[in-house]
Amino acid sequence: MKKAWIVLLLLLNGCQIRTLNPHSQVAGDQAMLIYLSFAIMIVVMAVVFVLLIRFAWKYKQTAKNKDDVPEEINSNKRLEIMWTLFPVLLLAILAVPTVVVTYHVSPESRNGTDNAAANEAAIHIQVTAERYDWTFTYENGKQSNRLVLPVGEQAILHLQSEDVIHSFWVPELGGKQDVIPGKEILFEVTPDKTGTFLGKCAEFCGVNHALMRFDTDVLQEKAYRNWLQEE
Amino acid sequence: MTLPIWDNVLYMPGDVIAAWIMMLLVGPILLLWLSKTKKWPLVWEYMRTTNHRKIGSMYVLFGFLFFLRGGIDALLMRTQLAVPENNFWVFQGDKYNEVFSTHGTMMIFFAAMPLLIGLMNIAVPLQIGARDMAFPFLNAVSFWMFLAGGMLFNMAFFLDSSPNAGWTAYTPLSTDTYTQTEGNDYYLFALQVSGLGTTLTAVNMIVTILRHRAPGMKWNRMPLFPWATLVTSLLILVAFPVLTIALFLLMFERLFDTSFFSGEAGNPVYWQHLFWIFGHPEVYILALPAFGIFSDVISTFSRKKVFGYTAMVLSLCLIGFLGFMVWAHHMFTVGLGPMANTFFAITTMLIAIPTGIKVFNWLFTMRNGVVRFTVPMLFALAFIPTFVMGGVTGVMLSVAAADMQFHDTHFVVAHFHYTIIGSTILGVFAGIYYWYPKITGKLLDRRLGIWHLGLFITGFHLTFFLMHITGLNGMPRRTYTYQWGENLFAFNFISTIGAFLMGAGMAVFIWNIIRTRQSGDHAGADPWQGRTLEWLVSSPAPEHPFTKQPVVDQRDAFWYAKQAGRRMAAGTDSRPAPIAGKTIQPLCIGAILWLLSLSMIYQWWILAVLSGVLVLVMFLLRTWRDERINTIGKEGTADE
Ligand code: HEM
Ligand SMILES: [Cu+2]
Ligand SMILES: [Cu+2]
Repeated sequence: MKKAWIVLLLLLNGCQIRTLNPHSQVAGDQAMLIYLSFAIMIVVMAVVFVLLIRFAWKYKQTAKNKDDVPEEINSNKRLEIMWTLFPVLLLAILAVPTVVVTYHVSPESRNGTDNAAANEAAIHIQVTAERYDWTFTYENGKQSNRLVLPVGEQAILHLQSEDVIHSFWVPELGGKQDVIPGKEILFEVTPDKTGTFLGKCAEFCGVNHALMRFDTDVLQEKAYRNWLQEE
Repeated sequence: MTLPIWDNVLYMPGDVIAAWIMMLLVGPILLLWLSKTKKWPLVWEYMRTTNHRKIGSMYVLFGFLFFLRGGIDALLMRTQLAVPENNFWVFQGDKYNEVFSTHGTMMIFFAAMPLLIGLMNIAVPLQIGARDMAFPFLNAVSFWMFLAGGMLFNMAFFLDSSPNAGWTAYTPLSTDTYTQTEGNDYYLFALQVSGLGTTLTAVNMIVTILRHRAPGMKWNRMPLFPWATLVTSLLILVAFPVLTIALFLLMFERLFDTSFFSGEAGNPVYWQHLFWIFGHPEVYILALPAFGIFSDVISTFSRKKVFGYTAMVLSLCLIGFLGFMVWAHHMFTVGLGPMANTFFAITTMLIAIPTGIKVFNWLFTMRNGVVRFTVPMLFALAFIPTFVMGGVTGVMLSVAAADMQFHDTHFVVAHFHYTIIGSTILGVFAGIYYWYPKITGKLLDRRLGIWHLGLFITGFHLTFFLMHITGLNGMPRRTYTYQWGENLFAFNFISTIGAFLMGAGMAVFIWNIIRTRQSGDHAGADPWQGRTLEWLVSSPAPEHPFTKQPVVDQRDAFWYAKQAGRRMAAGTDSRPAPIAGKTIQPLCIGAILWLLSLSMIYQWWILAVLSGVLVLVMFLLRTWRDERINTIGKEGTADE
């Protein structure tokens, strides 16, 4: 129980923790789901822990009862139905937002509908993963190993791999997306706050997987334009 | 380190050299000790045995040795991760990758599985009143196949070619385009050989439970460990062939340049589907037997029948069944689309329901009982909260959209260690303490047992609890380093301390084994006030238990017979017992399969063909031999 308190404190202090410090709508939804599932699970854990401690303590063997043969009570319909339906209820509460958010954030691959790919209003960036570097190619042809995005504008990242499977992950901007050779996957993000974050490859890809990192800057519109024009 | 040998320069990393030196020191000492204490006849005996208790003991022994090996790997990883930007010994880059690949594979296939299968071998026949496993010869073959695979896998390290693509060996990384060394070939063949052994064990268990129960032991009178074993064996029978196929495809890809997982026609994601269609049932293959052990332990030490027996059995079956419908929850970030992601999220959540039912049934078994804090029971009391914590993070992971944050981070590492160590490893230790009298005739020391549990469980929670937080804070798994300023240092450091506490716990356990060997208490047939049939036979279990099978007239019949002060009636109609024999053939089959694998790995085709033919011939010859024809009459009359 003491440990649960430590987590709770850390969570209240959540801005320390990267996945709970969202800078986009998607990451925000995901953080909400993390909090929600955590809260529901705390309820489950509390019930089990309390029962466990109570039963182990109350029915422990003592000098008095050590030769007793307890009465057999081997089923109790009411209780059994309760602990079947109670989890169903909790899971239903969890399932609804899960389905909604999952439908919203699951990306489609290029061969699906081309809506996103053809979206003219958005910024399109080609992202190439090759052991152990990331290359970002912007619409004006500029190439960089930094991901730079303007705040408040929709960006569509075209993820491609030159070799093995990698995974694109900036915790503050949302969950990860695998980058799979022979396929282009679109990752949409609209950052809603500025900041600088460490991005990482999250799928094991070989010797220097641990070093396959990149920096991400979310800048104001004007700073972004300036950066694009820089050599 | 480089060694000049003749004209060549041989490069050997320091850890491999250290391991060789250790081997060269320990090996001769071991041989000398065996000679000194005149143990060779005993070794020869075990090499040819087909007895279920002896085979089970060997499974447990080697499973435990491999567990220590995997544990040392774990300590090396934790030391490398103790501080940011660390450079501990050689464990950066590929070396670290080799260590976690070896650790994961070793623990799952060569520690957890054999430890459980060993306990099943020891306890299940006794618990159902059988006189041995249905196919004793096959049982020995399974064991030697497991050991051949395990030896092969360990050898890779000594030849500095450990696998380095993780225990999941995702393509295309695991194909020869990206990992050229023999490491992943060792992985393939070691799993292939030991996996076949596991499949054969499953067949053996199923037939034993179907055909060799004591008279009157109806399905609803069978203890829960045999039930769990039955369901597990059915899972193995469906899941392992999928692994076999996947491994064959990858073998063709690596050795013969096919393109199942690459190129125009292939797709690297196919591997992930195949692997997880096997892999998710595998985690239940590891968990269900442990559930069975705990059900028996909790019932015995609460002095009550297990609560909600029917619900317990049904939820075992339901978990097993649902286990086949959730594999893609390991692939939420692959981009399977919203439909697949939500489907697999929901099926995964559903598994929580039967699991929850089991937890409440365990709790209510204790209620109104007389709870004795013996060492196995203390393990059970540690298991419930630990496993429930692993279970609730499992539900959190099933939330597909949130899993995109959790996936492939240390949050996941924490989750599966909570479930696997919480259920399987604690279950195995509970089982070892519980059945030790049946294995050796002695009881393990209680005080040392409590120290073992205390150190292990404290260390465990220190190590893994904090990994939830590092994972949420952006630490991907399978990375050998992280930076200062990522806010990960303190957690990782404490985590490493915890890992060494777990190591200390294991040292206490080994000390307990040694102490007990020298001066332990001899246990009677029934040291725990047991309820099931294994406590009817003497300790250690004799080579031929139950010359007459007991008649079972209710669940926990042995307990109620004791209560009523009567002995259990002996059955009249008994099936001919399986026939024990002494034969060196199973060991030879294992050894030849080992040779076959080795020659495939190094592509010595002639040797491969020869050993392949030889092993086939041995199996065919065996098919024509049936010792029942000669012996049944004799044993049959001896039994009546
Ligand atoms: C005894 C204490 C143990 C410790 C301290 C420990 C530690 C670790 C650590 C730190 C990792 C993560 C490596 C990384 O991603 O960088 C890991 C991975 C893993 N562990 Fe353990 N572990 C222990 C026991 C076990 C046991 C008993 C099992 C299973 C029966 C197990 C199965 C695994 C698996 C399957 C992986 C994943 C390997 C991979 O990523 O390919 N571990 N362990
Ligand atoms: Cu990577
Ligand atoms: Cu799974």
